[in-house]
Amino acid sequence: MPPVSPYRRTRPAASNFEDLLRPQVEYLYRLAWRFTGSVADAEDLVQDVLLKLYPRTQELLEIERLRPWLTRVLYRQFVDSVRKQARSPIVALVTGAEGEDNPLDALPAMKDGPEEHAERSGWRRLILAALEQLNSEQRAVVTMHDVEGYSLEELETILETPLGTLKSRLHRARQRLRVLLPMEPFSAGERVKG
Amino acid sequence: MECRDFALQLDDWLDRRLDSVRQKSVQEHLERCPSCRRQHEHAVAVQRAVRELSPPAAHPGFVDQALLRATRPAAGSAHPARRAVLGAALAATLVLGVGLGVFLAMQPAPVQAVALTLERPETVRLMFNSAKPLKGATLSLALPANVELVGYGDQRELSWQTDLREGANLLELPLIARGATKGELVAHLSHGGSGKTFRLKIEIDNAGRSDM
Repeated sequence: MPPVSPYRRTRPAASNFEDLLRPQVEYLYRLAWRFTGSVADAEDLVQDVLLKLYPRTQELLEIERLRPWLTRVLYRQFVDSVRKQARSPIVALVTGAEGEDNPLDALPAMKDGPEEHAERSGWRRLILAALEQLNSEQRAVVTMHDVEGYSLEELETILETPLGTLKSRLHRARQRLRVLLPMEPFSAGERVKG
Repeated sequence: MECRDFALQLDDWLDRRLDSVRQKSVQEHLERCPSCRRQHEHAVAVQRAVRELSPPAAHPGFVDQALLRATRPAAGSAHPARRAVLGAALAATLVLGVGLGVFLAMQPAPVQAVALTLERPETVRLMFNSAKPLKGATLSLALPANVELVGYGDQRELSWQTDLREGANLLELPLIARGATKGELVAHLSHGGSGKTFRLKIEIDNAGRSDM
């Protein structure tokens, strides 16, 4: 167990909580956005996690590696919210005001023209649309492994999921992304001229 | 190594999880097989594209507000500030919605009645246009006699907690008529103390029934 500062222990819980969590909130938001694909949903997810954690401030003070622990809490909260949504008959057709949140925007994006920034924007939308096609578990494992760099062994602990299951989830997710994201332009950067 | 074996080992190769023998074997195969090389390049490029996708910024002040909400003594209920804002937005939308038709639109609009055929499942779609995201809205349904929501047996009253996104939200109701009815389907949407009730007339088309 790491040494715990007596100074911290005597401070108000809100101060301790803020000291611990403030450096993590942007990370949690980034992760939440990759899970949900929406700014509003990501903010809500992070808010839900913070609300849950505040009463556990004392416990947080004693956690050695806070970030992986928070990642697990966020992931569980995300899975819970997905399950609640799945029980609802409401199907979202069009998402928030930011076009990039909407996978349907991928089609108009193809008409953006040759300008590099427009192409980048079009590709971004294509990638978002492809990620949208993954189920929540696939999306989470791709985010945590391929983007955030957690090893599968670390994820085995964080997600409390067997290694074999994680490998197969990751494999299926990547396969799906490769099918959804065409060879052009995603392989262009790897080419050698001539 | 065959191309088929390469495809099976591609992910382990990308993750550097192969032992030195298999690693060498993959490397040699890549050097002599242009097709697998392209496949590998594509896989690397897709992985990089996903990794480089940067999230849009959260709303200004989000970090401060989120921490403040979490540490407030009265923060027992989720998103107090946001809920209050959304509640107000819904109330305003409801008022405007009546006059301007921005809150609810039927699809196909403006039909307010739907015909079902006896014993034949049919999906009725209602489109809810919400001016703002509404988190934790409650949707209640009351079905007329002899009409069932597929999968819910003879339950006449159903309720869900749901989040409405900004813009169009589709409610799909697979309905089946079990007998004659002249009733209405009543959908009630509520959020933050405000609510609105929508009524849809259900008519039964007997064409599917041979004895009628």
